[in-house]
Amino acid sequence: MSIMRALRAGAAATLLTLASQGAHAESVKLTWYMWASSDVEVAAWKHVAGMVTAKYPDITVELQTSAFLEYWTKMPALAAGGKLPDIVSLQSLRFPGVAPLMEPLDGRIADSKLHITSFDPSILKALSRQGKQLALPYDFGPLVLYYNQDAFQKAGVMLPKPGWTEAEFNFAAKTFSKEGMFGIVPSVPDAFMVFARSRGARYLDDKGQLDLVNPGIKAAFAAYVELVTVDKVSPLLPASGTLSSTIANGRFTSGGVAMYVDGPWQLINLKKKATFTVGIAPVPTRSGGSVSVTAGSGFGIAGTSKHKDEAFKAITIMTGPEAEQYLAENGRAFPARSAFQTFWFQTAAQGMTDAPAAMAAALKTAEPYVTTPNWATVGALFEQYAPLAFSGSETPEKVLETIQKLASQ
Amino acid sequence: MSVRAVTALPVRLEQGPCPKPTGRQSSRLRPDLQTAMLFLLPSTLGLLVFLIVPLLASFALSFTNWQVIGDLSFVGVANYIRLITADPVFWQVMRVTFLYSFEYLVLNITLSLTMAVWISSLSWGKQVFRLVFFLPTFTPVVGIAIVWLLMLTPGGVVDWTVATLHLPLPNLITTPNYALQALVVVALWSHFGYNMLLFGAALEAVPESYLEAAKIDGASAWQRFWKIKLPLISPSLFFGSVLTAITSLQAFDQVYALTHGGPGSATTTLGYAIYSQGFVSYHLGYASAIAWVLFAIIMMLTGLQLRLQRRWVHYDS
Repeated sequence: MSIMRALRAGAAATLLTLASQGAHAESVKLTWYMWASSDVEVAAWKHVAGMVTAKYPDITVELQTSAFLEYWTKMPALAAGGKLPDIVSLQSLRFPGVAPLMEPLDGRIADSKLHITSFDPSILKALSRQGKQLALPYDFGPLVLYYNQDAFQKAGVMLPKPGWTEAEFNFAAKTFSKEGMFGIVPSVPDAFMVFARSRGARYLDDKGQLDLVNPGIKAAFAAYVELVTVDKVSPLLPASGTLSSTIANGRFTSGGVAMYVDGPWQLINLKKKATFTVGIAPVPTRSGGSVSVTAGSGFGIAGTSKHKDEAFKAITIMTGPEAEQYLAENGRAFPARSAFQTFWFQTAAQGMTDAPAAMAAALKTAEPYVTTPNWATVGALFEQYAPLAFSGSETPEKVLETIQKLASQ
Repeated sequence: MSVRAVTALPVRLEQGPCPKPTGRQSSRLRPDLQTAMLFLLPSTLGLLVFLIVPLLASFALSFTNWQVIGDLSFVGVANYIRLITADPVFWQVMRVTFLYSFEYLVLNITLSLTMAVWISSLSWGKQVFRLVFFLPTFTPVVGIAIVWLLMLTPGGVVDWTVATLHLPLPNLITTPNYALQALVVVALWSHFGYNMLLFGAALEAVPESYLEAAKIDGASAWQRFWKIKLPLISPSLFFGSVLTAITSLQAFDQVYALTHGGPGSATTTLGYAIYSQGFVSYHLGYASAIAWVLFAIIMMLTGLQLRLQRRWVHYDS
């Protein structure tokens, strides 16, 4: 009897082991590479990765992160070595340069009956190439002006609002410069492009090629440089291993600067770091209007992935309603799914004066941030050469000509 | 086999300089050879996989237009021709690299030797000073560069000090003519400790009897240093100079973290240009060509140093 019991127990154990091995064999571990600049961002993305496993227990997503600048160095290096992760994060500005690495999603989108129309069409288009959808977006949004509401109120300066003018902006910037802080940080190239577009200047020609030598963009850059050299409302930033937009974020959150331009995706970091009330407004109206540019990001599947079906399942969850709601509420994303943008207003932007009106106004006049395939090079050249103009070592015109020449190489 | 291998060497040495191997001897040498090859295998494999193959691969890549993404095609020597004749910043990058290397090499050797001599003359606290000055050497360069960046940034502590002392100096890292000097200062601060330790150890090894004999003969402190100590530590000086020259020509990490090659191209070294072309613009073929130019320069200069050492390096103690 005891022998029979032992045999049965052994058989049961064997079956259990086989069953568990079978289950283990079916489980898939996906790798996902993403940029993140703070612990709070990493935590948010880990939560999103966990959502995939919650929905599909046989899929686990292993998150790897780098700072934004390093991400765009390391990702192509991984591609060169055939080591791209299954899920690749893509930003619309730098997307054209890496698009050939991505797996087209159209077939899987059709098979899965994914309601692609619930995404904002402009960011969907920005993440597609030659009619093929190469990534699903999780966020998008116009670059907006963040301001230190406490400092504005303390100085008795009118809060920025939709339709505020260049003169009002200049007055505010000069007021803060007299009070031991700077008005705004002149980061490049994105904040400058918004400045230039609001003056009606173009940075691309009719064929979509980089054009930094037309009179409009030269005049716009000269005016941008004068914020530092003449008006003294902006700090002089050196060329360094830290992006000027990151320095701008740091100067703003530390209370040294009253205003700075960035995307709605930065709200998660601003809320964590800033010890003052953060306000949001469209960029000032200049001669060409209040024109911002929209950019966004999404997730694609590497063409080299061995688990494309599972990766597609994963990115549908990572860009799905629950993830969008979570990212919106935490201020990490202004959702690419238009219906979920309300969560950004209700939770992330809660307490921010007139945030819905500011975002609505910014979106109304914003245009897609169209870039060239070598935009990473253009950005790096701006970071490296623009300080020559800001320090007065070279004329703004000469700096733009140099960037144009080197970017065209 | 191991016993025979160990005993074989003395037997061979006892047989004189040109022993003609007999059949029995050659059969005894074979296991030696096998053992030697076995011991050499790991390092040979490492050398092959991590140095020789990547070196050859990068040389092959320098003749292509590989851009990481997309197809690769052979372009012959076009990358090298473009580098020399068409690249608008290449010669400026060369000038920056040589200027930085020369300044850094001279100042590093002078400072580290001076400090080593000073510390060796102390009657107490030698170990403490050596440790203090060596500490930055094993601190990550990127961390050091970020701290220096905070100090050197416009409105930072360096600007404040300069303004307080009414010194006629502009901000170092935003002024093209001074940015390279800022790099040299940071690199010196973080790296001179290695050579200082090296020269300090060599100075400690100088026989005291030589110095005492010279002192009795009436040699001054300067004469004892110039005529006895310096010649005796010349092998260490040579070693330190060669290594410092090589690392300064390869300068990258402090450039990346502190100035990103800017403002403009004022601090763009060959090492940074390789990174910029390869991993920002994704021109891997072109970056490989720059890397081979750097390799050739390092080889030539090291060869020159090896030739010149015969005139000033003394290996007999």
